[in-house]
Amino acid sequence: MRRLRAWFSRLGGLFGKQRHDRELAAEMESHLQLHIEDNLRAGMSPAQARREAIMKLGGVEQTKENYRERRGLPLLEVFFQDLRFGVRMLRKNPGVTAIVVLTLALGVGANTAIFGLVNGLLLQRLPVPAAEQIAALVIQSGDSSLGALGFSYPQFVEFREQTAPICEVFGSATAWRLNFTAEGHSDTLTMGGVSSNYFSALEVKPALGRLVLPGEGEHPGEPAILVLSYSFWQRRFGGDPQVIGKQARVGGKPATIVGVMEKEFRGQFTVFEMDAYAPLSTVFDQSSVSNFWNSRDTHLMLALGRLKPGITLAQAQSRFDVISRRLAAQYPVTDKDLSVRVMDERLSRPIPYANNAFIVFSGLFLILGALVLLLACTNIANILMARASVRQREMAIRAALGGARYRLVRQMLTETLLTALLGGIAGVTLGAGLNRLASSTHLSNIPVRLGFGFDWRVFVYALAAVVFTAVSAGLSPALRATRADVNTVLHQGGRADAGGRARHKVRGDLMTAQVAGSLTLLIVAGLFVRSLRAVERMDIGFDPNQLLNITLDPSLNNYTELQTNDFYRSLETKVRALPGIQSVSLAASVPMGSTLGSQSVYIEGRRVPSGQRAPGAFFNSVDAAYFETLRVNVLLGRAFTEADGETSPSVAIVNETMAEHFWPGENPIGKRFSLTSDDGPFVEIVGVARDGKYRILAEDPQPYFYVPLSQHFTAQRTLQIRSAMPPESLAPIVQHEIQALDANDPIEEIQTMKESLGGTLGYFIFRLGASLAAAMGLLGLLLAIVGVYGVVSYAATQRTQELGIRMALGASPRQILALLLKQGAQLVAAGLLFGLAGAWALTHAMSHMLVGVSPSDPLTYLSLAALLSFITLLACWIPARRAIRVDPMVALRYE
Amino acid sequence: MGDKAGDKKDVWQGTLALMVLKTLQAMGPLHGYGIARRIEQTSGDLLAVNYGTLYPALLKLEQEGYISSEWGFSDNNRKAKYYKLTRAGRKQLNKEEREWEQTTAILARFLAPGEERS
Repeated sequence: MRRLRAWFSRLGGLFGKQRHDRELAAEMESHLQLHIEDNLRAGMSPAQARREAIMKLGGVEQTKENYRERRGLPLLEVFFQDLRFGVRMLRKNPGVTAIVVLTLALGVGANTAIFGLVNGLLLQRLPVPAAEQIAALVIQSGDSSLGALGFSYPQFVEFREQTAPICEVFGSATAWRLNFTAEGHSDTLTMGGVSSNYFSALEVKPALGRLVLPGEGEHPGEPAILVLSYSFWQRRFGGDPQVIGKQARVGGKPATIVGVMEKEFRGQFTVFEMDAYAPLSTVFDQSSVSNFWNSRDTHLMLALGRLKPGITLAQAQSRFDVISRRLAAQYPVTDKDLSVRVMDERLSRPIPYANNAFIVFSGLFLILGALVLLLACTNIANILMARASVRQREMAIRAALGGARYRLVRQMLTETLLTALLGGIAGVTLGAGLNRLASSTHLSNIPVRLGFGFDWRVFVYALAAVVFTAVSAGLSPALRATRADVNTVLHQGGRADAGGRARHKVRGDLMTAQVAGSLTLLIVAGLFVRSLRAVERMDIGFDPNQLLNITLDPSLNNYTELQTNDFYRSLETKVRALPGIQSVSLAASVPMGSTLGSQSVYIEGRRVPSGQRAPGAFFNSVDAAYFETLRVNVLLGRAFTEADGETSPSVAIVNETMAEHFWPGENPIGKRFSLTSDDGPFVEIVGVARDGKYRILAEDPQPYFYVPLSQHFTAQRTLQIRSAMPPESLAPIVQHEIQALDANDPIEEIQTMKESLGGTLGYFIFRLGASLAAAMGLLGLLLAIVGVYGVVSYAATQRTQELGIRMALGASPRQILALLLKQGAQLVAAGLLFGLAGAWALTHAMSHMLVGVSPSDPLTYLSLAALLSFITLLACWIPARRAIRVDPMVALRYE
Repeated sequence: MGDKAGDKKDVWQGTLALMVLKTLQAMGPLHGYGIARRIEQTSGDLLAVNYGTLYPALLKLEQEGYISSEWGFSDNNRKAKYYKLTRAGRKQLNKEEREWEQTTAILARFLAPGEERS
C-alpha cells in the first residue's frame, strides 16, 4: 500500500517540474545558510565556514539530480522523452514511416485475420454457461467402411441413460438445406434436429417464446415445432415478435414456430450456423422408424456431453469405455469395436469426427502467417538498417556528449516500437476488415460462418507480433548505429557508412531470407492451387455442368406409394415438356450430397461366416434416364429401362470397382447378389457403370451400385434436370410446375449440381485452402519485391561515389550494370535454394492436405522459382540501371 | 575535518530512514540540516551523514506518507522547510524499532559464541 502511495506521489511528481526544482533549490539554500551560521558560531572565518558547508553538502547538482530521480519516475520520464523525440523523428521522415507502417500493417493484418479465424474456430468455447464442462463425444467404430461417423439413435439413448451420473449426453442430427415455406414464399435453411435435453443441457435461453423442452420430441408423431435462430429470425421475419405461433412448412412438413434462440448461440458447430432447431420427432417422423429411431446402422446423431462438476475428461472416458465394451458385447454385429472418445469440445471442431485434420490445417496457416510476418520484419529491418547508417553520425555525437549506449539503443527501440504500434493498429484494423469481409461472404451457398473470433486473444496476438517485429527488426540496427567509434565516424568527413562490409553482409542476408521466405510461401500457395485445380479437374464419374437438383418428398403430404409414383411421373413429363430441357431423371441421392444410402452385400454362393458382417457398399436408386442425365457411362451390359418395373426381375448396375472387388477377372454381367441375406432374394447385374466419386471428393475408388427406383421405392427423391440454359434460371420455372401439381410444395431443397459440389464434402475445403494460401503467397511476393528493390537501390546509392570512380577510370555502363546485377543475383540464388528447401520441408508436412499433386511437384517448384527470380532480378535491375545513368562527375562529387 | 572523516562510518543503507524517524520523534518538527546534525551528534560523531543523500531520503519518506513538510522559520528567523512525523510515521517507527531490536538480538546471539572460539 505504502509503495502504491509513493508511486502515485511520484507519478504526480512528473508534473510541475519547475516549481519543484525551485523549492528544492530554496531548501538547499536554507540548508547551506543554517550550516554556515553554525560554522560561524563555531569560530570559522566566513570564507572557511562557507567552504566547509558546501563540501559537507556535496555536489549540489548531484543532490538535485538524485532528488529529481526520487521525485518522479525516471523510467517513465525517459520513456516520455524518447517518445516525444521518436514522434519528432517519425514526422521528419514521413516516407520511411509510411513504408514501415504499411509493411507491418500487411504483415499484422494477415496474421490477425488468420489468427482470428483460428481463434474463433479452435480457441473460443461455445457461448454457453460453464462451457468448460462441455465435452465432445467422438464415436469410432471398427467398421468404418460405411462411413459410420455419428451415433445411431439407439446408441445415443443408451449412452445418455448409462452415463447419467457423471455426464448429460445431448446431441443433434443436422438437416442441411431444407426447404422452408412461410408467409407464402420459401427458402432453404439448415436445421438441427435436437434431442429433448439439448437446450437444457447447454443451458441456453430463448430470446422469444420457448425452446424444445426436456422430454419433448423423442417419439415419432409428436406435434411438429420449430425454434428459429436469432439471425434467421432477423433475416427472414425482420425480428417480428408476432412470429411465435405462426405456421410454417419445413422440409414440406407443417410445423409451428414456438420460439427464437438467443443471439449468442449459433449452433453446436463453430463453422456452420444453424437457421433453426426442431425436436427429433419433427425431423424424423413415423416413416423413419426403421431407419432412424430403431436402426443401429443409421449414424446421424452428433453428441456432446455436459460433464457434472468435478468430473474430469479422463473419468468420463473410463465410464464411456465400460459402456462401449458392454454394447459391443451385446450387439456384436452392429457395435463391433465400438468406442467413444471424450475430448475437449474445441479439439473436435468443426464436426466431432475421428481423424479431424482441422488442427493441422490451422497450424499450417498460422505458420504461413508467421512467414509473412517474418518477411515484413526483414523488410523493416532493412529500412531501419539504412536509417541507422544515416544516423550513425548523430549517434556518435550523442555518445561523445555522454549518452550511455543503452540509452541510445533504448531511444532507437522506442522509435521502432512506436512505428510498429502504428503499423499494428493499422494491421488490426485491416485484419478486422478482412474478417468482416469473410463473414459477409457466403461461400458456395452453405451456411459457413468464418468471420468471428475477434476477442482479447487476437489483440494479445497482434501486440505480441508488434513487439516481436519492433525488437527483432529494430535491435540489430540500433546496436549497429550506436557501436560506431566516435573518432572514426567524425573523421569520415560526413560519409555516413562506416564499417560497410559487415553491414552489407547483414543486408545481403536479409535479402536472401526474404527471397527464401517468399519462395516458400509461393510454393505452398502454388501446390494448394494446383491441388484445387486437380480436384476440380478430377474425374468424378459424371458431368456436373448444366444440372439442377430439386429434392422432393411428397410423402410429407400423406401420399401413398402409388400417389407418390404418379406425382413423380407427371412431374417428369411436365418438366420434359419445358423448353431447353435435354434430360430429366430421378434419384434417391446425389453424389457428395447429404444423404447417401449404404447396404450390406451378400454375394450369391459365398456365405458370410457367422459372427461376421457382410461387406457393405454405397448405392443409389435411380430411374432409367439417370445415366443419360448425369452422363454416367455404362461400360458393359445395359442401363436400366422402363421395362425394369415392379414386376420384372430385380436388376442392378455395379461400378467398375465393385465388379473388380467381388468378381475379379470375371464377367460380372448375370452375376447375382442380395441386399438382405445369404439366401436372397437376389438381384441380377445387368450392367457395369464407370467409377465416380460418391461420398467425398478425396475418396479412393469405392464399390457402388445402382438399383431401379421402380424396384426400390423411396418417397424422397431428387429430380435432376440437364438443360441448355443456366440451371439457376430454370429453378423458379420448375418450382412453379411443382406447385401447380401440389399446392403444398413438397420441395426440400433446390440447388445446382455445381453448388451442391461446392459443399463441405465437395470443393469447399480445397477452395478455402487455395484462396487463403494464394493470398499469403501474393503478400509474400509483394513484400519480397519491395524488400529486394529497397536493398539494391540503397546499396546503389551508397556506392554512387565508387561507381563514379569506376566509370571515370573507364568502366563501361554495361560492366557496372553487370557488377551490380551479379551481386544481386548471387543473393537471389542463395535465397532460392533456401526457399526450395523450406518449401520442401513444409509441403511434406502437409502432404495429406494435397490431392492430385505431389508435395514435391517439380513443375510448381521450378516455375515459381523461375517466376520469383525473374521478378527479383527485375527489382535489382531497375535501381542498378538508375545508378549507371548518373553522370560520373556528379557521382564523384556526391555527398 | 576532512582528515577526520576517513575514520567515520558511513550511514548504512536502509538505516537512514529509521534514524530520521527516530530523530523527528525525539526532537519534534525539524529542518533537514537540523536532522543531519542531530544524527551525527547522537552517534557521538562516529557517523558521517552525506547531507546530499539526506534529501532524497526525506522525499521518499514524505511520498510514503510517514512524514510531512511545511515551510517555517528557524530560531534566527531563517526560512527553512520543517519536517514532522505523521501518525503513520509513528506507527512505522515503532514497527521498525521492534524489528531492529530483534535483528540485533539475533545477530548478538550469533556473534557471542563465535568470539569465544576465536
